[in-house]
Amino acid sequence: MKRISIDPITRLEGHGKIDIFLTDEGEVANAYLQVPELRGFERFCVGRPAEDMPNITNRICGVCPEAHHMASTKALDALFHVDPPPTAKKLREMFYSIFYATDHTTHFYALGGPDFVMGPDAPVAERNILGVIKKVGMDIAGKVLKMRHDGHHLIKMIGGRPVHPNWGLPGGVSRGITEEQREEIEKLGLDAIEFAKFSIQLFNDIVLGNEAYVDLIKNDAYVHRTYNMGTVDENNHVNFYDGMVRVVGPDGKEHAKYHPKDYQDYVAEHVEPWSYLKFPYLKKIGWKGFEDGIDSGVYKATPLSRLNAADGMATPLAQAEYERMYDVLGGKPVDNTLATHWARLVELLYATERWVELANDPEITGDTFRVLPTETPTEGVGEVEAPRGTLTHHYWTDERGILTKVNLIVGTTNNNAPINMSVKKAAQGLIKKGTVIKEGLLNTIEMAYRAYDPCMACATHTLPGQMPLEVTIRDAEGEIIEQLTQNL
Amino acid sequence: MTTLLLGLGNPLLRDDSVGLKVAQLLRPLLVDRSDVTVDEDYWGGLRLMERMIGFDHAIIIDAIISGAKPGTVHVLSPGDMPTQRSISAHDVNLSTALAVGREAGASLPNNEHILLIGVEAADVQTFDEELTTEVKAALPEVITIALSALKEIKGRDER
Repeated sequence: MKRISIDPITRLEGHGKIDIFLTDEGEVANAYLQVPELRGFERFCVGRPAEDMPNITNRICGVCPEAHHMASTKALDALFHVDPPPTAKKLREMFYSIFYATDHTTHFYALGGPDFVMGPDAPVAERNILGVIKKVGMDIAGKVLKMRHDGHHLIKMIGGRPVHPNWGLPGGVSRGITEEQREEIEKLGLDAIEFAKFSIQLFNDIVLGNEAYVDLIKNDAYVHRTYNMGTVDENNHVNFYDGMVRVVGPDGKEHAKYHPKDYQDYVAEHVEPWSYLKFPYLKKIGWKGFEDGIDSGVYKATPLSRLNAADGMATPLAQAEYERMYDVLGGKPVDNTLATHWARLVELLYATERWVELANDPEITGDTFRVLPTETPTEGVGEVEAPRGTLTHHYWTDERGILTKVNLIVGTTNNNAPINMSVKKAAQGLIKKGTVIKEGLLNTIEMAYRAYDPCMACATHTLPGQMPLEVTIRDAEGEIIEQLTQNL
Repeated sequence: MTTLLLGLGNPLLRDDSVGLKVAQLLRPLLVDRSDVTVDEDYWGGLRLMERMIGFDHAIIIDAIISGAKPGTVHVLSPGDMPTQRSISAHDVNLSTALAVGREAGASLPNNEHILLIGVEAADVQTFDEELTTEVKAALPEVITIALSALKEIKGRDER
């Protein structure tokens, strides 16, 4: 077998490596996204007070610390058997909506969006946020930076610290907001709604207005018919902060709807010898390998999955965009991986609308934002929708609240199997006997996994910024027959 | 002239915390330098660029893995940072981020006023708050480099 590997020169950022194994005939046999192991997390946590977890877990990952903070805080609510007052829940959800809007903005403009706005065939050097600025106009840079700036400013204002909030406590939050702060949150939220509408218009003009791009979204190389997972409210509308986990099948029918604390009854984890990262699957369907379809337990938990798993959006503008997306793409569920970028924009709009809705809630400035836990801690599960998928924290403690066991299923882990399937399918579509390995192939594979916005890293900040890639093609004996490098 | 001295890193991942530890060690040594802001952060890319807004100079200290001997100290500039393509897909590189900021009209240090000090890490994958011995041994060198860069900035300022 020949082996093609897309190999980082350093592992400083992302820690991922794609290996594509070819048969002797030059066809794709298998494709693997490998993730190095981060060691000793459980050992690091056990023996510490559970209340430390919101401030430890928000440092696991440089990408979504707020999501870990929130899942961890909710796990503490459950662990200490305490129900936060309405003001606390609303403040948490508003904070979380602001984080979502900021995070989805970054992904669309800096990461996923350039693939579309510039087109998949654009040179790598132009397929980035700078290319977008050149194509769309200079003022977009200011708009994106303002959105990020406003988001980070409010996250700091509400959460106590930039990036790593230290605000969540079992039973509530450490402080509320003043009327003056509420007014600022509302004002910046209204700006954010306009920004989200602008982003959807941009997607509409540049992507949907171009038949070739719509064909790309619909291209079979990017289709996976799997189950979809997402958190829903009492109306089966998408909710990021709280609700029931709903799983809908490739046939669009509800497979399960469960309280997050019961996740172990519904989700099990498959292990492969080549990957440290496990492969969650639906327990009642079973692991049938890296397969599509209703008989395979593989599921996705992405922005698109959340929309597929729900019956709609809880805010008017997002609902209208939700309906339009399904109209254009031919009804529910949509299984086109690249439509995840569109779904992310629907969620961006929802996040900004929800942000303003909560800023206008009469209880949001209330002064009862915490109830003190009085019961003995035992075990608790906390769950939120992280931007990259359903995020579950599960803690066990002794009677003093000292951690004895910790289990986390993070957003990207849910998508581990579908990411590998998408990479393989993208490679299969483009590597045929005799095909020359060229940039288009790498772009296509990259686009396949980038749609999931995978988060493998907890050190994504480290130098040198982004990873150079090296593509090595090996023959059946493992000898290098060709080596391609990019951006070195 | 104002200078941002920023340690980057994850405090929980062994050598990845080296930038943060250097910032913590430098902070008390720089209390008299009102022109220097010492801080710690977690992110590169766009956020790192955003942190530099409003400063004339920036000194960034972070862990790096380039294949050199652990503890080796690299002194780099933004132009030395390669790549557009990333498996991480989570941020843009620093050069791109700086260009975006400049397009948006942000007041950023010139590239030649941005100094990146990378400390070659031995282990950034184990949850631990302590540095490895090799990286710990490099701390005096990093501090000397940072202090002499700050001295030079001040000297140039006074000339």
